[in-house]
Amino acid sequence: MAADGARFGGVPRVIVRAGALLSCASTVIFLITEALPGDAAVVRSGGRATAEQLDRLRAEAGLDRPLAERYVSWLAGTLSGDPGHSLLTGRPVAELIGQRMPVTLTLAAAALALAVPLMAILAWAAVGGPRPLRPVITGLVVGGAALPQVALAALLVALLSAAWKLVPPVSLLPAGEPPWSRPALLVLPVLTLALPAAAYGAALLRGAVADAVSRPFVRDAGLRGVSAAAVALRYVFPVVAPAAVRLLAVVAGGLVAGTTVVETLFGLAGLGELLVSSVGGRDLPVVQAVTLLAAAVVAAGLITADAVALAVDPRGGAAR
Amino acid sequence: MRVSRVLLVAVAAGGVLALALGGEALAGREPTRTVAAPWAVAGPGLPLGADVLGRDVLARVLAGGRDLTLGALAAAGAASSLGVAGGLWAGWSRGRAARAARALSDLLLVLPLLLVAMLAVVTVPGPAAVIAGTVFGGAPLTLRVMADATAQARHTGYVEAALSRGERGLSVLFREVLPAHAGLVGADLGQRMVLAVQLSAALNVLGFGPPPPEADWAAMLRENLPGIGLNPAAVLAPAAALALLAGSVAGLSHILAGRS
Repeated sequence: MAADGARFGGVPRVIVRAGALLSCASTVIFLITEALPGDAAVVRSGGRATAEQLDRLRAEAGLDRPLAERYVSWLAGTLSGDPGHSLLTGRPVAELIGQRMPVTLTLAAAALALAVPLMAILAWAAVGGPRPLRPVITGLVVGGAALPQVALAALLVALLSAAWKLVPPVSLLPAGEPPWSRPALLVLPVLTLALPAAAYGAALLRGAVADAVSRPFVRDAGLRGVSAAAVALRYVFPVVAPAAVRLLAVVAGGLVAGTTVVETLFGLAGLGELLVSSVGGRDLPVVQAVTLLAAAVVAAGLITADAVALAVDPRGGAAR
Repeated sequence: MRVSRVLLVAVAAGGVLALALGGEALAGREPTRTVAAPWAVAGPGLPLGADVLGRDVLARVLAGGRDLTLGALAAAGAASSLGVAGGLWAGWSRGRAARAARALSDLLLVLPLLLVAMLAVVTVPGPAAVIAGTVFGGAPLTLRVMADATAQARHTGYVEAALSRGERGLSVLFREVLPAHAGLVGADLGQRMVLAVQLSAALNVLGFGPPPPEADWAAMLRENLPGIGLNPAAVLAPAAALALLAGSVAGLSHILAGRS
């Protein structure tokens, strides 16, 4: 009875939570960006325009309408697939995003593909690995999770590019070529994204794994002579899975945010770099659309995580 | 044995913090003055060589951590104290508002904090954006941990004894529950500090930090990356400084968390 009730209540709850997250995110994004003192009209005129010219520029861009009106029209436009035009270049925001998307998607997908197995291996090794190695791996995980991304980027460039000359130090893509056509250019950005994400995930997952390993049925399996790999896969993994998938959604969100630093540092023209340059230029429609897209990615990840948790444990593990 | 290890790590982390904050006094040379050719390698008088504009890398590394560390300390303090206060209240009170605070913090947790800080940097200067990002991304985590600890403490002997002595809720929270979780709070403060250092390094490398002639570890990375083939120390030294700062604080926090 109780199990059925939870299963029934689980799916709507997942949708409600994702909706709450997105509306909260859109409000935060709009309020923070609209509260700025100097607007894009000032930036575009280079600070030399008279008050009258500024007023005309603002009227053209619709910046003189009341806040609530602008919020509603922005949200309606964005939801219908038209987040407006860039204030700086006048090009449609949707077109800008579409152009930058392949680079960021390739980066994030490759980084996630590397980070997920690494995270699982590290979390397992820190708890169930060879005893003398455990403190070393734990130290590696804690230190790796603390390492600022830019410091890691510098270290990787110094080693892989300057010292060993394996890959080029910047990843300038020839115009018009898809990002996956030059894998060597992606090595540094992907490693810089994936390694901290894996360490961060493993640091958080370690506790859940330690918890699972200390359960009686897991210890019992070990005593019965089941091999370590089989214990990890058959007994520990199902217990850890819901927490791991939820963690993965958060790690993926951090990874998307991390593309801002990585793309700017390595000269890749992706969404992250677009966001950074738009923040610098106070190009509000672009900033709002890109951050809302990132929030939507995180929300999608959480929906997936909740769905997986519900499938693995229908008793309502998704509630937590 | 265990206490001495905590002491050792605490002294090391304190030393790194002190060096980051007061290093400029040891520099012996203006960190903004050109003294050699761009990216000149190490030589007499220039132990780490020169940077993109021929300035002394050692002097810049010694001077480049102060603002970043001060900002991170302020951000961590703000996030941690807000989270601890909120967590004590949310764990103690069982009202509707406390549950709403928990739900809101769960919601905030999933917004990537670097993006929140990027949004904030549109409106406010870099250091304030670091504080905003750390509070948005860190305080909800603290609140959650502290609320769980407080809810558990409600049913322990020492809290029940204090309540039956007639002490009021607020005084029990601050004089019994909080001191009992000092290790937890310390570990949490360390984690927020690491978060703030990472955030501030990211924002400064993107160009939202202190304006150019000012020395800053993260900005040094970006300035000197093109010259890594000529003087690798100009990149590796600030990277090592950032890693050392974040790593030593994280290590201390890890040990404190293990003890509490």
